[in-house]
Amino acid sequence: MLKGMTRLVSRVHKLDPGRFLHSGTQAPQCLVAHLDNQVPTESPRAISRTLENDPAKHGEQHVGQHYNISIQELKTVFPHGLPPRFVMQVKTFNEACLMVRKPALELLHYLKNTNFAHPAVRYVLYGEKGTGKTLSLCHIIHFCAKQDWLILHIPDAHLWVKNCRDLLQSTYNKQRFDQPLEASVWLKNFKTANERFLSQIKVQDKYVWNKRESTEKGSPLAEVVEQGIMRVRNATDAVGIVLKELKRQSSLGIFRLLVAVDGVNALWGRTTLKREDKSLIAPEELALIYNLRKMVKNDWQGGAIVLTVSQTGSLFKPRKAYLPQELLGKEGFDTLDPFIPILVSNYNPKEFEACIQYYLENSWLQHEKEEGKKELLFLSNRNPGLLERLCAYL
Amino acid sequence: MAAPTVKVALGWSGLGLGVRRAALRLPGLVQVRWSRYGPEYQDPQTDKEYYRKPLAQLTEEETYERELRKTQVIKAAPATKTCSVFEDPVISKFTNMMMKGGNKILARSLMTQTLEAVKRKQFEKYHAASAEEQATIERNPYTIFHQALKNCEPVIGLVPILKGGHFYQVPVPLADRRRRFLAMKWMITECREKKPRRMLMPEKLSQELLEAFYNRGPVIKRKHDMHKMAEANRALAHYRWW
Repeated sequence: MLKGMTRLVSRVHKLDPGRFLHSGTQAPQCLVAHLDNQVPTESPRAISRTLENDPAKHGEQHVGQHYNISIQELKTVFPHGLPPRFVMQVKTFNEACLMVRKPALELLHYLKNTNFAHPAVRYVLYGEKGTGKTLSLCHIIHFCAKQDWLILHIPDAHLWVKNCRDLLQSTYNKQRFDQPLEASVWLKNFKTANERFLSQIKVQDKYVWNKRESTEKGSPLAEVVEQGIMRVRNATDAVGIVLKELKRQSSLGIFRLLVAVDGVNALWGRTTLKREDKSLIAPEELALIYNLRKMVKNDWQGGAIVLTVSQTGSLFKPRKAYLPQELLGKEGFDTLDPFIPILVSNYNPKEFEACIQYYLENSWLQHEKEEGKKELLFLSNRNPGLLERLCAYL
Repeated sequence: MAAPTVKVALGWSGLGLGVRRAALRLPGLVQVRWSRYGPEYQDPQTDKEYYRKPLAQLTEEETYERELRKTQVIKAAPATKTCSVFEDPVISKFTNMMMKGGNKILARSLMTQTLEAVKRKQFEKYHAASAEEQATIERNPYTIFHQALKNCEPVIGLVPILKGGHFYQVPVPLADRRRRFLAMKWMITECREKKPRRMLMPEKLSQELLEAFYNRGPVIKRKHDMHKMAEANRALAHYRWW
């Protein structure tokens, strides 16, 4: 009955029917604002928000519109992985709104039509600095979390190849190095994101940590994760075990696995980490990187691999490089080949308008002037990152 | 633009090229801070609206002015003066005062980070406040900045005057530009000197600006101290001869 009424109302007002179905805390002001604005004239003010908060239902008609993610969901789905400026924005506005954009929609379409019997397909999001690769990845992760997939999200692989204070020689393999801090932090966030799966998945091997502790075969994965968090020395090995088990068991069909790595070009680049004798360490000598490389190969079924290549945070790559070939290098490109590249570009005029509208609605942009909009357009060249930084102080 | 003050020094009164013949000419004094532009040079007009006016709509004075400008020599516009909607002369002046060693990029980035910090703090307050208070909370960083500096401007200042071999601090009315300068100078010195070691300038500046906006904080205190000194020395007001 509600649907019928809403369809009638929408036909009267010639509006999108999906608009009225959700009633969040934002809805009353939004609805009123949009009804007031849209009944007289449709075109002058771009529509910046949509009430459709489920990524699965996002379509072409939602391009350029912001959808809301509740703060509780944000804490569970994204304990890590959001860009720092976005986190600041969420804190300032008291709401998390993500813009629906074409690259993300394209990826969503592919993910909805994945055949889980086939090996995992690799998708690489690439683009210039500030165009929105990380936030598109977050959109995909939100979709997969809503669809109850297991999310394996590495927020920034570059952090694992630089500025590591304590490098230990790996207990498992003498040639490799452990990174206890990074591994334990990641395990904590992984646990927050995927609590419900950790008790369901059972380990298929016995793992001996040291003389007194071991994990028996058939115990839940949560134990391995706990062990990694408690004993920071074994954290890297715990991460390796988690990755191995998930890869093995995703083909069985109990869960669907999404491997999301931001800055995957770090896996095949150079590191700035040195041994005690000041000789450089290659990325494959780091246990975390070694295990992650195995994860990113497409020799497993039952999920998808979504990657981002970024120059920000990368080591020894020129500033203007953004293509996968340039950033991944020969080795990385050959390993990832074949993959589906998805270009994330600057905003188109409609998205730009919507972004400005969103800032104006939140009173973030305090100077509302037509000339000002043209100036922002010129200064930012419709680059989302630049626009956000420009609007921050205006 | 107001006529610039003539910066003079005692000494040889040789007049070089381009020395501005300003109204204030004290005998035996020569200018030290002077511009390469002579008095005939006009200031550039950076207002886009001035040029957008169609010729038919101009009044007689305006057409005369336009014709006159065609014959005059005009100074080059400085790089920091734009016809941007967001440009603010007060903020530009403050940025220049914050600048050290010509590092305008750093000064400007500090300024923008300060404005952003001010905005974020006000937004936090806004979201924490009730509906009635929300109407009173100002979130525009530019208005907060202007109001804070206005609140810091002293009304009356002290000038050392030599009389009978001693320097007396004489209360003196200050010109507008001197007051603005003092407010900005006090704000910057306060933030530079009283800042905790690991705190960054934008955070400290934003804190001080917000305090000054609400008429409290160390810069306002300094202004009040200046007023009190002036009040205390009001007996010496007769030493002023201008």
